[in-house]
Amino acid sequence: MSRESLTGMGENISGGRISDSASAVRNRLSPTSGADIVGLFVALLMVLLVLDIVRRLVTGGIAYTKLLEYLWWGLRDAMYIALAAVGLSMTYSILQFANFSHGDLITTGAFGGWAAAYLVGGWGLASVGELVLVRATSGGVSPGQVGLQVFASPLAILIGMVVAGAVTVLVALAIDRLVYKRMRDQGGISMLIASVGVALALRYFLAVIFTNRKRGVTATAPDVGPFTAHELTLVIIAFALIVGLHLLLQRTKLGKSMRAMADNKDLALITGIPTERVITATWIIGAAFAGISGYLIVLDRGSVSINLGWFLLLLIFAAVILGGIGSIYGALVGSLIIGMTVNVSLIWLPSDLAKVSAFILMILILVFKPNGLLGGVETT
Amino acid sequence: MTLLDVANLDSGYGDLQIINGVDMQVGDGEYVTIVGPNGAGKSTVMKSVFGLTTYMGGSIEFKGTEISGYRPEEIISTGIGYVPQSDNVFPSMSVMENLEMGAYILDEVPQERIDRIFDRFPILEERRQQNAGDLSGGQQQMLAMGRALMLDPDLLLLDEPSAGLAPDLVQDMFDRIDRINDDGTGVLLVEQNAKEALRRCNRGYVLVQGQNRYEDTGDALLADEQVRKDFLGG
Ligand SMILES: Nc1ncnc2c1ncn2[C@@H]1O[C@H](COP(=O)(O)OP(=O)(O)OP(=O)(O)O)[C@@H](O)[C@H]1O
Ligand SMILES: [Mg+2]
Repeated sequence: MSRESLTGMGENISGGRISDSASAVRNRLSPTSGADIVGLFVALLMVLLVLDIVRRLVTGGIAYTKLLEYLWWGLRDAMYIALAAVGLSMTYSILQFANFSHGDLITTGAFGGWAAAYLVGGWGLASVGELVLVRATSGGVSPGQVGLQVFASPLAILIGMVVAGAVTVLVALAIDRLVYKRMRDQGGISMLIASVGVALALRYFLAVIFTNRKRGVTATAPDVGPFTAHELTLVIIAFALIVGLHLLLQRTKLGKSMRAMADNKDLALITGIPTERVITATWIIGAAFAGISGYLIVLDRGSVSINLGWFLLLLIFAAVILGGIGSIYGALVGSLIIGMTVNVSLIWLPSDLAKVSAFILMILILVFKPNGLLGGVETT
Repeated sequence: MTLLDVANLDSGYGDLQIINGVDMQVGDGEYVTIVGPNGAGKSTVMKSVFGLTTYMGGSIEFKGTEISGYRPEEIISTGIGYVPQSDNVFPSMSVMENLEMGAYILDEVPQERIDRIFDRFPILEERRQQNAGDLSGGQQQMLAMGRALMLDPDLLLLDEPSAGLAPDLVQDMFDRIDRINDDGTGVLLVEQNAKEALRRCNRGYVLVQGQNRYEDTGDALLADEQVRKDFLGG
């Protein structure tokens, strides 16, 4: 409010009216902007690509089943990206920084969880060291000998998943105490840079324990209809967790206080929400989801490596930014778009380039909608 | 009886002192207004009462208890409600959820308080499922007040509730504040519509550069030549 406001409400209100009508005029007269053109371009491109898919289906250039397979893979990738993306989005909106160590939390969960699964499922089949380190050295027991797959050892797989979440939560909380908690008021950039350091430290720490050898982990499971048992497991569990998170956010007091804090931190403080406790809950949920995501990716792909999460981080950021950074539901939408794009673009592109197409799409959409798809809506 | 007694308060942000020896009282059920130029520290006084600034000295007593150093949730539970100047709703949460957040410190949402607030602001009941961010400015102010009234506070701090409202809505807002006060709730109001606020209140303070400048009944301040000339635009 301006200084004149004290002289009474007259000036004040008419001032508001003037600026309102000015912006209305600006809107009416605004010429087509560059963003609109890009938007039009993206829409046109989409229509052309869909028409091309139809053409290929009709002429037999691509089999109907092949397309369905790409869509299914898109959904599968979307699910594990989403598990990680909601956590990244939550830490962004509630702690207000972009956490570059989120990818290595995924890796933490992958190794931690499979170490537990190996111990439980492979007990007596190999030395404890070999099991705990998830076949760190070559030449020992083979994945087939341990034989971990959902039908043969469901309990070991389940226990591994729970441990994956739990270990990742412990690591994330420890890192928060050691690093981020001391930096709460320092602003997003310092915390972002610190998180890059944390990412490297965590990865090298894992490499020292588990080595950086990429190795097979699971045994093959029989297919379930057209799907592999493990990708089906991934999709079902990820879907259940996301529905669970949705219910938590909408129905419970904790969930509502998390949304409140993501919305307006100062107001949350004023209403008596214990902000540190909400931050702890955010780490717990975000880290558990990230860890389980890593664990399920290994289940699906069959192998684990030290760069699992780091390589994935870019796609996860793409999903989060695409949906509108800080918006949890936006992260879900973004994940779906990224997952689908990476796979459906296989129709036209070799697989190396397919990932690139996801980033190009992200950039095009951001030019058109700088706040992301759900960014302006602030749907947390 | 004195509800709120601020005496010789010094406070600010970090090393920056804004409030300099301010005294301010609100009696039980009293309606008190703070006016003053922009940047005078009006909002800072309110934030200080709520423990959101750096405390530097003096005392803040509420119902005879020193509350400086209390955490926000403790201050709420002693019976103070606070509506900040801006960003005073949770935009992506529904009207209903915003009200629920007002009763966060209780184990259960008190349904009779919600009914009471819907009686007071019927439009909120109509819009109960809408996101607060989709409400008009006036409706958001009502929601922010409703949220602050959820715990039935003895004192309500209102920071410029009429900011940005159309003229007829400004009058409506003042009428609503009158009614809240008539029901026995003490009100401490910061207003840019200084004349109207002084006309309606029991007593007023003129705050300048973080210090008390004038203090009197609303009518007396309105009648004062100097106050009129310097702060009320003649
Ligand atoms: N968070 C903050 N950190 C540092 N200085 C601040 C902060 N908030 C306000 N100030 C400063 O404190 C002084 C008083 O601000 P305050 O918001 O209390 O004024 P006000 O009387 O409420 O003004 P207005 O009529 O514009 O709302 C101003 O100089 C302002 O710049
Ligand atoms: Mg102010």
